[in-house]
Amino acid sequence: MLSYLAKRLTLSLIVVALVLMLLFSMLHMIPGNPAILALGTRATPEAIAEYSARMRLDEPVAIQFLIFVGNAFQGDLGTDVFSGRPVTQVIGERVGFSMALIFSGMGWAILLGIPLGCLAAVRPNSWIDRITGVFSVGTIAIPSFLVSIWAILIFAIQLGWLPAIGAGEPGDIGDQLSHLILPAFAIGLGWVGYLARMVRASMLEVLSEPYIRSARAFGLSPRKVTGYALQVAILPTITVIGMGFGGLISAAVFAEIIFARPGVGKMIFDAVSDRNFPILQGGVLLATGFYILVVLLSDLLIAWFDPRVRQSL
Amino acid sequence: MKQMKTTRRTFLATSAATGATGFVLGSANMLRAQEGKVLNLRLDGDNQILDPGYMVGGTEVEAQKQCLPFLAEYVRDGDAFSWQPTSYVTRLEYADETHIEFELAPGLMWSNGYGTLKASDVAYSYDRMKESEWSGYFDALDRVEVTGELTGTLVLSSPFAPFIMVTLCHGPGAIVCEQAVKDAGGRFTTEFPAVCGPYTYSATPGQRAVFDRNPEWTGPAPGFERVVLQVITEVQAAELAFEAGEVDCTELGPDALARYTQNPPENTAVTTAGELQYMWMGMNTEHPKLQDIRVRQAIQHAVDVDSIIAGAYANTSSKSNGIICPGLIGHRSEASYSYNPERARELLAEAGVDSLQVTLRTQNWQERLLAAQIIQANLGAVGIEVQILPLESGPFWEMGMEEAGDTWQELELWLMRFATVPDPYEATQWFVSEQVGIWNWERWTDEEFDRLYQEGLTETDPDARAGIYARMQQIMDDTGAYVWINHEPEVYVHRTNIAIDAAPSGELNYRNFTQV
Repeated sequence: MLSYLAKRLTLSLIVVALVLMLLFSMLHMIPGNPAILALGTRATPEAIAEYSARMRLDEPVAIQFLIFVGNAFQGDLGTDVFSGRPVTQVIGERVGFSMALIFSGMGWAILLGIPLGCLAAVRPNSWIDRITGVFSVGTIAIPSFLVSIWAILIFAIQLGWLPAIGAGEPGDIGDQLSHLILPAFAIGLGWVGYLARMVRASMLEVLSEPYIRSARAFGLSPRKVTGYALQVAILPTITVIGMGFGGLISAAVFAEIIFARPGVGKMIFDAVSDRNFPILQGGVLLATGFYILVVLLSDLLIAWFDPRVRQSL
Repeated sequence: MKQMKTTRRTFLATSAATGATGFVLGSANMLRAQEGKVLNLRLDGDNQILDPGYMVGGTEVEAQKQCLPFLAEYVRDGDAFSWQPTSYVTRLEYADETHIEFELAPGLMWSNGYGTLKASDVAYSYDRMKESEWSGYFDALDRVEVTGELTGTLVLSSPFAPFIMVTLCHGPGAIVCEQAVKDAGGRFTTEFPAVCGPYTYSATPGQRAVFDRNPEWTGPAPGFERVVLQVITEVQAAELAFEAGEVDCTELGPDALARYTQNPPENTAVTTAGELQYMWMGMNTEHPKLQDIRVRQAIQHAVDVDSIIAGAYANTSSKSNGIICPGLIGHRSEASYSYNPERARELLAEAGVDSLQVTLRTQNWQERLLAAQIIQANLGAVGIEVQILPLESGPFWEMGMEEAGDTWQELELWLMRFATVPDPYEATQWFVSEQVGIWNWERWTDEEFDRLYQEGLTETDPDARAGIYARMQQIMDDTGAYVWINHEPEVYVHRTNIAIDAAPSGELNYRNFTQV
């Protein structure tokens, strides 16, 4: 198990390095002078030169990359070119909001999607199965930004039940939770349907296995049989959920923009528009690290659930 | 292995509890928002650098106007814009064309124990600006002479008519506390080292900026105890927030403006701050396809600007007749050409052009693309085939710059919009001969234009200035290189019980917001 972990961590480092190299290459392929974009079209040549030097834009790309990697290993991701604040501090202020959004979005999707999928599988072709099918396809098909806008129009503007924008009063947990409901709903809704479909399909396959028939023949209660089946059927879903966390970073960008929430996704989006390279590099490094971490955790979780995987490590 | 314990019953109970909690918390939040004299506004992004010498601009200027002294401020005089002394001064006047005398109001305190506002702070601030990234605004200033603790004279190196409007009323005219800035190391970013205004400032990056009443402020009281600005980057999201009652005032985009104008919600008013943006379709006079002035004039006559304003801007912006915006000296009520497709065909025939393909470059924004499509149809009607090339900001803003590559040689037509300050000189400076290959992408030169530009800077008589700028726009018309499109307004929607105050260029001045 330890050697497996070591191998995965090494691979993860290689992936991070490759992503960063790709990012650096792409940054320099983006058309437009970042200094003009950042300082405005009326910036003086002196200001442009000063900005370029401050961002080390005049260095070769390879040198910029090595400087960044060297500093990153020491925990220094550079400074925000506008405010001069450390990138780690800027990211630190936002990462909690992103994590809260991503985990609550996926959390409620798991809580609803998996039971829905199970229900549909144990009663195939019943009305609940059909409704789940329609609901699943419907929610998967609707883009999360549309759900966001509808959620605001219905729950904030028409009904006035929930706040539309922001992350809530700093320090007021209750207020922050109320501000989390609509964005989490918006980014999680599609996942409810997706998980329900996945679990249903896996469950149907497992429920037709001989050992499940044997369990039924031994007189185990339907609930117990479903529980055993779910332990096996959930494995592919865990992998998908792990990868889904990575996808939610992208989905969160829309939610963060529409609900005006602070977050890493929106920060990266703004950094691309502003050509704020240090923030962009730091944000992408964090997103990549997070993605690799959740995929690794999901693999370890599968190994924990499935003895066959454990034995093959 | 432990089995999952989630049952249908526990799941439903959990969901119901979560929903109920959200409802209760949300309702409580709504109630809190309505308490007290709190003004809720939108901030389109974090304030990154509050230091006037190194600011990015925009909302940072708004913050400075609440927390730092200024000598002059904009005032609307009918349809025109003018200036007046602020409450920070008891006197601000021209002694002659190059000397502006001021006297500060007594007893105005800097926060954090930095004592009173002094004339030496003005001298320090403006000397500092001459060395800053915004030094261009202070080119005309030679020095500040301090003649007493509260009095001084701004000495200009040569007469410069727009100095008060362009420099003193605008963000670069902010005065900082000499000692506080020195103690902060000479520059500051996200916090003011000392404030002297009706509000103090604090911010939570990515979330909000808050202006609270400054207990040390002895000047005119602001209309609200607290101003909370939520960071909402997208204007459409801000419109939703306004409709949800979470902000009291926000900027409107063209689509929303049309909607609010035609069908205004209850208790909602719309205020136009100014129209200090000018958009045009430019033509490269050096391009082989467009070198013949008759071809350019044909294009001028072929474009139906009224259709663009109706189709792309829902009739929410005024038609442009030049680079001088409405409300400014020299603004024209009509251009020297008009929509006349028949005349366009005649000019093309005279030029011997029977088939012409041109490329129209534009930023990839919704309104611009619609405008480009209307132009495409208009030019198609007179036999000119137009290919539209949408571009992202980066390549767009450098495509006419010689130092950015060779794209300027391929430029044919493009849609361009500049913003300006409330004085005509600023708009004209981009079209003088030395700007060819920098911002004069049409690439024409005219000695009379260059001379008039210099005369406009020093001329102080408004009528004479109006004549100068009218003539300069006529010269631009005569090049055939411009089709003037529109002046997009800066428009705000707000509650009817709030009177707002916005600078002509759109910056809000919260200290002058009042409840009515």
